Amino acid sequence: MTSSCERDDICSATTPTTPNAIITFYDVANIETLKSVTGLRIIGDGQEDALPTVNVVTTDSITIPLRTNMNSTKYTFHKDYSFDDNGTPDDSSDDVIGGNPDVVTISYAPDQIYVSRACGYKTIFRNFSIDLEDDGDTWIQTILNVTDNITIENEDQAHINIRH
Amino acid sequence: MKTKHILTLGISILLMLMSISALAQNEDTSDPVVSDSLKITNRYGIRLGGDLSKLIRTVLEDDYQGFEIMGDYRLTKRLYISGEIGFEEKTTKSEFLRSTANGSYFKAGLDYNTFDNWFGMENAIYAGLRVGASTFKQTVNDFTVYNTNQYWEEQFTSATEQEFSGLAALWSELIIGLKAEVLPNLYLGLNAQLKVLISDDQPSNFENIYIPGFNKTYDSGRFGVGYGYNVSYLIPLYKKEK
Repeated sequence: MTSSCERDDICSATTPTTPNAIITFYDVANIETLKSVTGLRIIGDGQEDALPTVNVVTTDSITIPLRTNMNSTKYTFHKDYSFDDNGTPDDSSDDVIGGNPDVVTISYAPDQIYVSRACGYKTIFRNFSIDLEDDGDTWIQTILNVTDNITIENEDQAHINIRH
Repeated sequence: MKTKHILTLGISILLMLMSISALAQNEDTSDPVVSDSLKITNRYGIRLGGDLSKLIRTVLEDDYQGFEIMGDYRLTKRLYISGEIGFEEKTTKSEFLRSTANGSYFKAGLDYNTFDNWFGMENAIYAGLRVGASTFKQTVNDFTVYNTNQYWEEQFTSATEQEFSGLAALWSELIIGLKAEVLPNLYLGLNAQLKVLISDDQPSNFENIYIPGFNKTYDSGRFGVGYGYNVSYLIPLYKKEK
């Protein structure tokens, strides 16, 4: 007998599917201590809008999505972000953007894992590595994988530490 | 929903047929010509048939093909050896995943007729047990990775078919049903089946969403359900008193 709305057919929000990368921020002077980043805004390479959850916030922990159809995801981590359009919202030539942007690329081998008939497949990210572009003025001092955790497969703990 | 209506309709028609033939029977027995010395004999033989519902679904549903041949052999007044063999191909679709199961199956077991027939009638309300086995293939046709975060809109999509062949499953089954003789030796029947999966080979990095003969599997456990809607013909071999 066919029926169109059974519980098995709905992917429950509590089912872990494709994980986001979790990043925590530590104090470079005291690497055991969490330290918030001020005015953080993160935008994906080629994207129009910032991550909705990281759009000028002060925080010591963030989650960012990784691209499941690529081998890497590139973001700009913009600290102390400020924006002034000089009273001309339609003219971007005189816009002043303040703060310090750093470009971070996370590379990995995506792998598709079966979850359930309702959720289908999720992607996990194996052998991930992080690259910080050296622009001569990085606010990020060190960015590293959390010890031995080289696969992003769930959201149970942080995957990446940033010291600043 | 469509198939549920067909099933309900089928049940009504069959019950009606059974009561009509029972009425007709009533007239027969009230016939004064029938004497007490007339021996009550039952026909024994092989009944062969097929499942109409699977043929109907093959026509109506784009993502289903199947047929089933059934047969039974009468052992005693109430007991029958019964079996079914069949083939099914079923595609299951969700927003993120499309997969196809196809393969063949057979079921074998016993039916027990609980119905007390009037003289000369051979209707049945029965309960039975089966052991079912299927050999089948699962194919993941295509999928799109499920991601609750849609910041990067495009997710990984696979359109490369992955095949898992040589899979097998074993289950047990409780079956209850009706069979009504609508014309001499011709029976219409319907049944419902409750199945319990005993074992099944799991495809790697996938699961058996559908098993031919067992039908849809459920996340919640090892149970499955099914129904049949049969037409069958009795080949009488001999008659026996009682």
